Amino acid sequence: MNKIIFLLTAAIVVAIIFFVPPIKGLGELAKIIFFHVPTAWVAVVAFFSSAFFAAKFLRTRDFSADELSARAAKLGFVFVLLSTISGAIFSKLTWGAYWNWDPRQTTIFVLILIYGAYLTLRAAVTDEKIRAKVSAVYSLLSVLTVPFLVFVLPRMYFSLHPSPISSSGVEMDSAVVIVLIAALIDATLIFIRLMRKGD
Amino acid sequence: MKLSRCRFDAVSAIVRKDFLLNLRRRATFAAMMMFALTATASLSLSTGGALLDEKFLAAILWVVIFFAAGAGIAGTFDDEAQAGTLPTLKLYGDAQAILFGKMFVAFLSLVALSTFILPIFLILFDVGVEKIFLLLVTVLLGLIGLSAAGTLTAALTTSAAVKGGLFPILLFPVTLPIFLPAIRLTEISFTVAPVDSSLLVVVAAFDAILILAASILYDYL
Repeated sequence: MNKIIFLLTAAIVVAIIFFVPPIKGLGELAKIIFFHVPTAWVAVVAFFSSAFFAAKFLRTRDFSADELSARAAKLGFVFVLLSTISGAIFSKLTWGAYWNWDPRQTTIFVLILIYGAYLTLRAAVTDEKIRAKVSAVYSLLSVLTVPFLVFVLPRMYFSLHPSPISSSGVEMDSAVVIVLIAALIDATLIFIRLMRKGD
Repeated sequence: MKLSRCRFDAVSAIVRKDFLLNLRRRATFAAMMMFALTATASLSLSTGGALLDEKFLAAILWVVIFFAAGAGIAGTFDDEAQAGTLPTLKLYGDAQAILFGKMFVAFLSLVALSTFILPIFLILFDVGVEKIFLLLVTVLLGLIGLSAAGTLTAALTTSAAVKGGLFPILLFPVTLPIFLPAIRLTEISFTVAPVDSSLLVVVAAFDAILILAASILYDYL
């Protein structure tokens, strides 16, 4: 798996530098999206993975599920920070400000808060059994914010965030789409590899 | 019918018990009120009579309520945790009765808090309320969600080594779906702008979701 990830990552980097044309209207600097979008994707995947293993722990009381839930949250926290930083740079390049509480920025920031709260809760409880129980319950409780972030928040606030898909279809060069999909697969594989690291 | 009657009795017994304990331990309640008063007064004083935007005023009101609520309901399960009586209480009553009893007491405390701080806030910031009924409904709906999420969060932090700072950290992200629409509705209540009733539906729906989630998840603790 390591070799596949290494080769795929190398191929994506080469493609971004030499083959992907400057993104329409955003220029060369906007190529940061090949880092930003996959890290944001993994941050969300890790969030749901953590909740999935939390539910599994509560159902089975299997502590390996708790470990996986915690590992997914730790990885998610790293990925969400990377995504936020790269997103802020992209925002500065295109809109002239690092931060403006756009619905997508709010969503990613709420993810940071949830991951931070989950990891702080784990650090604050010393008893292993209680820690596993309370962090699993919190992980599932925090999933409740998802419908709000996905369906309600975008209606409440105007978004400047570029939407790649509109009613007329995908508004991106085909090379960009292919490399972006490859980057998403690559980031997902990296996440899976890191999740299995302790096995 | 008999079961629901039995559960209602258990819930009201928990409410009575916690109410009496709160009377004995008035300091927590006083701290919550004083926190709200101090925060409101310091913000009003520091802005020094400046003309503040309705959106900003609405946000200030909810931030004060949120953190004062944290000071008041974070220790909801502390008495039982310190005395080690929670497992016994769960044996005699049932877990759901304990949760709903404590949730109701938390809600009553927050209603008392809002009854105290809302008029002071409106006077100190010289806010003209255009839609008083909307403001009251928004506050009540917001408090229901805060009580539901707050009670479960209080149960989560009972065994934590650091409680004071942890409670708002855990509570804020999960109450955000109530917090943001409530701020918008409060802002509307200060102005002549038309009411966006879909936001009321959002807050009420998340109240229901939080109560249901707290009920389901509390059984696993």
